[in-house]
Amino acid sequence: MNVIEVKNLKKAFGDNPVLDGVDLTVNKSEVVVIMGPSGSGKSTFLRCLTYLEEPNEGMIRIGPHELHTGGKLDRKRKKEIRELRKKTGFVFQSFNLFPNKTAIENVMEGPLTIYGVKPGEARELAESLLVKVGLGDRCDHYPSQLSGGQQQRVAIARALSLNPTVMLYDEPTSALDPELVREVLQVIKELAEEGMTMVIVTHEMNFARDVADRVIFMDGGVIVEQGNPKDVFDHPKEERTRRFLTMAE
Amino acid sequence: MEVTIIIDSLPSLLKATIMTLFLSGISVLFALVIGFSTALIRILKVKILYEVASIYISVIRGTPLLVQIFVIYYGLPQIGISLDPISSGIMALSLNAGAYLSESFRASILAVDRGQMEAAISMGMTYGQAMRRIILPQSLRIAIPTLSNSFIVLVKDTSLVSVITVTELLQMSSLIIAKTFEPLTIYLIAAAIYWILIMFFTTLLDKFEKRSSKHLVR
Repeated sequence: MNVIEVKNLKKAFGDNPVLDGVDLTVNKSEVVVIMGPSGSGKSTFLRCLTYLEEPNEGMIRIGPHELHTGGKLDRKRKKEIRELRKKTGFVFQSFNLFPNKTAIENVMEGPLTIYGVKPGEARELAESLLVKVGLGDRCDHYPSQLSGGQQQRVAIARALSLNPTVMLYDEPTSALDPELVREVLQVIKELAEEGMTMVIVTHEMNFARDVADRVIFMDGGVIVEQGNPKDVFDHPKEERTRRFLTMAE
Repeated sequence: MEVTIIIDSLPSLLKATIMTLFLSGISVLFALVIGFSTALIRILKVKILYEVASIYISVIRGTPLLVQIFVIYYGLPQIGISLDPISSGIMALSLNAGAYLSESFRASILAVDRGQMEAAISMGMTYGQAMRRIILPQSLRIAIPTLSNSFIVLVKDTSLVSVITVTELLQMSSLIIAKTFEPLTIYLIAAAIYWILIMFFTTLLDKFEKRSSKHLVR
């Protein structure tokens, strides 16, 4: 059963086409890593999945929530977009934690505001999620008091707090010092082992080899090549993939 | 200069200070409401209201407060709107400060990192929820220093209302001077009272800023 289905997704910024017809299906519990040179459209693609960018054309389905482009942005459509987002945990490159809230308040915010969960329950849930990402002892710290790796793990806990069907990561370790990358990837790997469906845009090849079920190589707004990591990395079929891999190594 | 003059005039001056505080207090409240709502109107780009708010801000910031006071107190009666001096004063001060506060609020809302709104709506919050719970609390902290500035200006600007016979601190000083012929003493006392008032408010706002910034302390 596929959890994500994307058909013919197109997006342009002004006259500049960024996505030029992307199709993708992701199965339940599958971990998909998207790679590609900067400007290839991979981040835009991920942001379109949760309508942080509105695509110009195409269809997106996440779980039972299906959205086609071109609808009038009325009350009903706004609600549909919100429903899609609730089921999609999004992790940003720059964390985007709420700086005026403690770690636990960051994680409680979604359940409180969106699901109207009682504060006591939300706190319990948030605490268990922070324990899960290894930050049970940092609940009352403000983001400014946490390292980048810790902040990103709080952000992952926050994304998990709404019990999403899929998790999307937009270069989750690109803003981190090298020694902090591992702790974040470890958390993502654990989620993969638990069977979370995930799409991850990253440059971490070893991580992709280790965790991904499928690697997608994007360039020029299209999917150039995809397959299991071993095939794509060791025996790339396309010239563009080969060139990128040599550059990256 | 005689100590008795100071002692004799102090009760009247303090009474007039209450009027100054009253004018400032009421005007700040109105100005906050006007400033905040026009800022939101401009950020949300509400049709028609957006233009109205923009013209209002442009006109107020582009004309002297004294002229605004004269228009309201002496001008409006000509089209049938007669306000007593105190109401005219409050109206002029509120409208004037409101325009400046509006720009402070708007700038502070726009100063909140774009990623904050994205994080909030990516969770499935409505725009309103994201504004209320995430953006506005952060923007308020950013706004405090400039709000504080506007408050100071407002307290001092109440002295302009003396020209339409409101007996606030400056007007009272002039009245006392007319009897005592001690301009230096009396005006210095008035200045001292303004200074103390403003120091009091600045300290208060500084405290508030520190408290709302506690998350930034490592």
